[in-house]
Amino acid sequence: MEHVSRGSTICTYYQKGICSYGSRCRYEHVKASQSDSSASSSSMAPHQSLTSDSVPLDHTSTNKIVSAECPGSSRTFLPPIKQAWNLESRHHELLDNGDFVGSRSVNPAEHSICSFAAAGNCPRGEKCPHIHGDLCPTCGKHCLHPFRPQERDEHIKMCEKKQKHLEALKHSQEIECSVCLDRVLSKPTAAERKFGLLSECDHPFCISCIRNWRSSSPSSGMDVNTALRTCPICRKLSYFVIPSVIWYCTPEEKQEIVDSYKAKLRSIDCKHFNFGNGNCPFGTSCFYKHAYRDGRLEEVVLRHIGAEDGETVIAKNIRLSDFLGDLRIR
Amino acid sequence: MIDFARVQKELQECSKEIDTSGIRVSPKSDNLARLTGIIPGPLGTPYEGGSFEIDITLPDGYPFEPPKMKFVTKVWHPNISSQSGAICLDILKDQWSPALTLKTALLSVQALLSAPEPDDPQDAVVAQQYLREYQTFVGTARYWTESFAKASSLGVEEKVQRLVEMGFADSLVRSTLEAVGGDENLALEKLLSS
Repeated sequence: MEHVSRGSTICTYYQKGICSYGSRCRYEHVKASQSDSSASSSSMAPHQSLTSDSVPLDHTSTNKIVSAECPGSSRTFLPPIKQAWNLESRHHELLDNGDFVGSRSVNPAEHSICSFAAAGNCPRGEKCPHIHGDLCPTCGKHCLHPFRPQERDEHIKMCEKKQKHLEALKHSQEIECSVCLDRVLSKPTAAERKFGLLSECDHPFCISCIRNWRSSSPSSGMDVNTALRTCPICRKLSYFVIPSVIWYCTPEEKQEIVDSYKAKLRSIDCKHFNFGNGNCPFGTSCFYKHAYRDGRLEEVVLRHIGAEDGETVIAKNIRLSDFLGDLRIR
Repeated sequence: MIDFARVQKELQECSKEIDTSGIRVSPKSDNLARLTGIIPGPLGTPYEGGSFEIDITLPDGYPFEPPKMKFVTKVWHPNISSQSGAICLDILKDQWSPALTLKTALLSVQALLSAPEPDDPQDAVVAQQYLREYQTFVGTARYWTESFAKASSLGVEEKVQRLVEMGFADSLVRSTLEAVGGDENLALEKLLSS
């Protein structure tokens, strides 16, 4: 999903709060808030190290994680770094004695939940020394931390989003393209298993069919705007096609797909603009990024020209002919 | 390249709905690019009771290019050439859409039979007649349906030939046959009495 694209060295399970490897994990334990500003922070890192009973802790790395990963809000829960190290060693002794819960006087929110239970099944069951999370109604796993409301909300939200995505995907399976008459998501190659959404109407096509139609050379008398750019079914004019792997059910979902597509394109440099060296035929309405090499964005300057009928028009490029139009040669 | 998978689906879909639409499409040979369509004449029109054969050729770009259709059965209609069978219909030209299918295109042709557009004619002679002498138009169209679009009237050319061999002029034979609705004996009586 979206995590994969961000870099493979970050543990996505950790970000969801269910990495069962704890500090032994090969991947970097970075909180979601670090790389993705939309997800709120959770203070997992230090607790993971507090309760990981099988691993001798790498002191420096713990320090690093603790100092790097803690945003101000969750710092209040944390004992000072050194104390955390001390707690860790004490924790080990206590575990060895088999006496854990009773002798601990630390805030229960600081214990991480049992990762086995969170992943689905804890072999130790009732005897497990770790807190077993509450059941998440959406994913059916014991992964809701009883004492961390923020993390619970985060997980529930994420779970619901995932569930919604799955449902949308299931629903999308049935949708047929009106051009090739195939189910879009049953096409042979992955590149074909995509919908092409039209901005102005809600008729489903596969991306290849609708692009094929819109780019087909107009036969005699066929007007681009009245035939090719219109929806093949309702003939409503749409200026662009949005690729999407799922089909939407509500206008809000469609808007979300359109917005994320546009946001993605805006992060890609326009090859026509070519950092200011080229000339983009789409000008200021181009979906791609128009930025110079130094990162400066192209300034949007709209030039107004007085048209002959007294109204002003916005000129894309100033041409000599725009001025010569009025000139009368005697 | 023609999307043959789609053509195959269209044929299946069409054969399922023969009872409701009456429209048949069948391939001429193993090559799915050449097909034959059959549409029933719409009720309440001079074409009622006839079944009209249409020759369909799929261009390479199908379904992104419209199928080429023309009447094989002779038909008297302002928008269909009485000579070549060429059809003047926007969706078969600039208003084609890839969401249309052979079946929907044939349905449109059927609708054209019930709603002629004499202002945008394919056959000027028929269009003139339609505008100026509507009753004659209806008569001719009905006669053509009787003569060419009905299984029972398939032998019309033979009837004409037999009557011509009896010594009547070809055009007179045809108009008399037309007047009596294609019955050879009635036509002969009429020819003899005139």
